[in-house]
Amino acid sequence: MLRTREKIFCYVVAFAFILFLLAPIVWLLSTSFKGQLDIFADPPRLIATVTLDNYREVLGDRDFMHSFLNSILVSSGTVILSMILALPAAYGLSRLRSKTKVGLLSWVLLVRAAPGMIYVIPYFMAFNELGLMDTKTGLILINTVFTAPLAIWILISFFDGVPAEIEEAAFVDGATRWQTFTRVALPMAAPGIASAAILVFIFSWNEFLFALTMTRFESKTAAVAILNYMGYEGTEWGKIAAAGILILLPVAIFAIGIRKYFVQTSAGGVKG
Amino acid sequence: MPTFLALVAITVLPILVTLGISLFYVDLTMPGMTRFAGLENYFELFQDSRFLNSLTVTAKLIFIPVALQIVIGLLLAMVLKEKLPGTGWMRMAFLLPAVIPPAVSGLVWKLFIVPGAGGLSYLGHVIGVDLSLDLLSMPGSALTLVIVTSVWVGTPFVALLMLSALESLGEEQYEAARIDGASWFQAHWHISLPEIRPVILTVAVFRILEALAIFPIIFVLTGGGPAGATEPINYYAYVNGFEYLRVDYAATIIFFFFVVMMGICSPFLINIARRESREEAR
Repeated sequence: MLRTREKIFCYVVAFAFILFLLAPIVWLLSTSFKGQLDIFADPPRLIATVTLDNYREVLGDRDFMHSFLNSILVSSGTVILSMILALPAAYGLSRLRSKTKVGLLSWVLLVRAAPGMIYVIPYFMAFNELGLMDTKTGLILINTVFTAPLAIWILISFFDGVPAEIEEAAFVDGATRWQTFTRVALPMAAPGIASAAILVFIFSWNEFLFALTMTRFESKTAAVAILNYMGYEGTEWGKIAAAGILILLPVAIFAIGIRKYFVQTSAGGVKG
Repeated sequence: MPTFLALVAITVLPILVTLGISLFYVDLTMPGMTRFAGLENYFELFQDSRFLNSLTVTAKLIFIPVALQIVIGLLLAMVLKEKLPGTGWMRMAFLLPAVIPPAVSGLVWKLFIVPGAGGLSYLGHVIGVDLSLDLLSMPGSALTLVIVTSVWVGTPFVALLMLSALESLGEEQYEAARIDGASWFQAHWHISLPEIRPVILTVAVFRILEALAIFPIIFVLTGGGPAGATEPINYYAYVNGFEYLRVDYAATIIFFFFVVMMGICSPFLINIARRESREEAR
């Protein structure tokens, strides 16, 4: 369908952009396998002697692994709490009719539109009073403030997809509202629930501002702890590269796993 | 329903609390010294040259990257839609920048431009040009680098959104234009783009609202420097709150910003909410 000249133009655009997109990541990957001397070799090389030293050192770094575990715990905790709050709320709201939806949508948009800093200040002061500073519980709570509205919004459209006739049939058979919810609606919305959960996980894994301000050491997450390798004695690029790869690997795999839903769901209110 | 109301409370209350804090003098190092300040924090704002500078930086860091993201994203969506042989895997690669933790994205670019050890020096070596410059030491190049990183992070996702919008369109009009001799670009420009205009507008509004979410990137890449050249308003609020421990002033800055952004974007947001719920009702 395309003329040859147009085809060439398309290929040039696509490959120019993909080079721009992947070059920095490829460089991160290559640096993560380089020894200290090769990193600053002159002239620089893309592939040097491959060594696993950086990974060995990062995996053997107790402080970093502690924060990596924190990331896993905080992200999983946020997923569980968000889902406990969002599932019944989304189900209930999906069965209401459209007037409430305008209000609901305005609320989701408001939370999305508010800059993170506007939340940090009051929660910082409240956490100081409540002794939640530098705790994983506190971090889970504040992450949930952001993820729950998003989860509700995504889940509503999936619950909307559950046909009312099937639910009515369950009612006729004597099921209670709760049974209908757990036995009929939940299984039918399962793909939506899975992608909402993964999205919440990614958000919480990547979250930086709260993890930076609400933690000191005990509950620091990996996305913040990686900065420790930018010390006063110079930046340890080998370790940063290896740690960076370790941090981005889980979320990259997740995103590719739900790629069918990813664009649709993570856009939140953005659809045509 | 009760859980829902509780959720609304914990998400909306903090905004009001921040407004409250901005109206007081608060000194975290001396508890009990809190007293009412009225609008004095806001008066201070407009005499603070560093704040006024951060406003300019904010405008640059919002509008330049968002404009680039939309234009490049549209072009890429048009290209990907053709499903040329060998481009299928690119859709998957496009997901990467959207899910990499922003702090890591900042580090990725910081490493890429390290003079001597970065990929940029390597590319320079390959093509025979010396690119080993310390880009972070000059205001102009540091700002450019933040913009480039922001484009890198946001564009692929914008492209994927535009792509799904383009793919939902019918082919007839486009085909007809092609048969009438319109070029590939003309056919998109006159047929496809007007059709997806609402989507473009929606995406633009969200990108504008979320443009300053590049906080971690700035934190890692430049720390706001050199000389405030890359210090947007939310970063300045962070510095006040957590380095100078002036919580009240930080609250003032960020609340002011929130109001301005809502003022600019709420007409569009209301529009989006209306259209969205109309579609749901159908």
